[in-house]
Amino acid sequence: MNIFTYAAFAYALMAVISLAVVGVIVLLNHVLNKQGKEADEND
Amino acid sequence: MIDFTQLFPGIGTFLTQDPATVLARIGLIVLGFILAYLGFKGTLEPLIMVPMGIGMMAVNAGMLFLTDGSTGTMFLDALVSDTNGLMNILQIDFLQPIYTFTFSNGLIACLVFMGIGARSEISFMLARPWQSIIIAIFAELGTFVTLILGFKFFGLDAGAAAAIATIGGADGPMVLFTSLHLAPHLFVPISIIAYLYLSLTYGGYPYLIRLFVPHKYRGIDMYIEEPEVPARTKFIFIIVVCTLLCLLLPVASPLFLSFFIGMAVKEANIGHYVKILEETISYISTFFLGLLLGCLCDANTLLNPVVFKILVLGITALAFSAIGGLIGGWVMYHVTKKRFNPVVGIAGVSCVPTTAKLAQHAASEEDPFSMVLGAAMGANISGVITSAICAGIFVATVSLVH
Repeated sequence: MNIFTYAAFAYALMAVISLAVVGVIVLLNHVLNKQGKEADEND
Repeated sequence: MIDFTQLFPGIGTFLTQDPATVLARIGLIVLGFILAYLGFKGTLEPLIMVPMGIGMMAVNAGMLFLTDGSTGTMFLDALVSDTNGLMNILQIDFLQPIYTFTFSNGLIACLVFMGIGARSEISFMLARPWQSIIIAIFAELGTFVTLILGFKFFGLDAGAAAAIATIGGADGPMVLFTSLHLAPHLFVPISIIAYLYLSLTYGGYPYLIRLFVPHKYRGIDMYIEEPEVPARTKFIFIIVVCTLLCLLLPVASPLFLSFFIGMAVKEANIGHYVKILEETISYISTFFLGLLLGCLCDANTLLNPVVFKILVLGITALAFSAIGGLIGGWVMYHVTKKRFNPVVGIAGVSCVPTTAKLAQHAASEEDPFSMVLGAAMGANISGVITSAICAGIFVATVSLVH
């Protein structure tokens, strides 16, 4: 792989993994908030 | 008749070595003094620069004749490779055990990273996760620009170019970790130059902010209260993200584990561990990191022609990362319909918490009531995560480059 292709590939991969991590964070946040609200309502 | 060179071997070695080495030794003693003094004055980061500067002076002054007639020191030998030689050196050179058992396997980088993790607050990132991570992605621009420059135009091999490029991530432990894996023969000059430049960001980045963000935009207030995220939620985020990143990039999993375990013990409220990580481990590892980097800086380091390339590429990496972060700040400014302060972009460069403080300082200069520190800390923590991901990608895939 030449260096330009590699740099573009690595940058894109870094961006995708970072966004995926944030996606997981947001998803978890949503699930945990929902669980918290349900627990509050049950109380 | 007493032989003067044997009585004072530190001076005697000056008389027997070649002129280039003698000049390099004198240059490094002077440089060590300057670094230690600037650390003492607070111009450079004292935690690193004081031990590094003094170590640099001592190792270049304290040279003596070894039993085989060559010159060396009683500090450490980074080049010893065979087991018998190593066992001998471990019993002679006082810093050799620390070098052998903490440097060559990257442990010291991980220990520093544990301390950073224990001091990091993830709440600000959770307040605006998308904005924070997008800024951090832009702020990796310098890493990739430098990778291309180093390989294509400076004639470095891909591993060395990638190791130097990680200076753009502005994370000392990451640079150390990557250079130990990808360019072990260059890790001393790369790490020293990285820490030197990281100490200088305080001085240089404000000029870049002024250059790229006109003053009327610098005062935009984006106050966010520290969000009340329950510790349970934060703890689950931390362990899930740690596991996910280890799964995706196993080669960088020591770094991920170190960073997130620091955060996890803080959120788990294990006071004794937090205190040990934040104070004892963090300061001991930073102290020995500085001291050993200084003691590794002998004359041969300065005479290596690659040093000049690292100097140029290091500053290029940090400058382009800052520019990338500020471009990210402008993108967020337009995306959020002018409610985002572009100076926050500089905090995507993950020099925790220096760049976040710089963003706040730039905003306060324009409007004393402008508050951007919360958003900047979010970008800062995201920057640590993107830098670690970059390190993992480089270590795992840089061999693909031909």
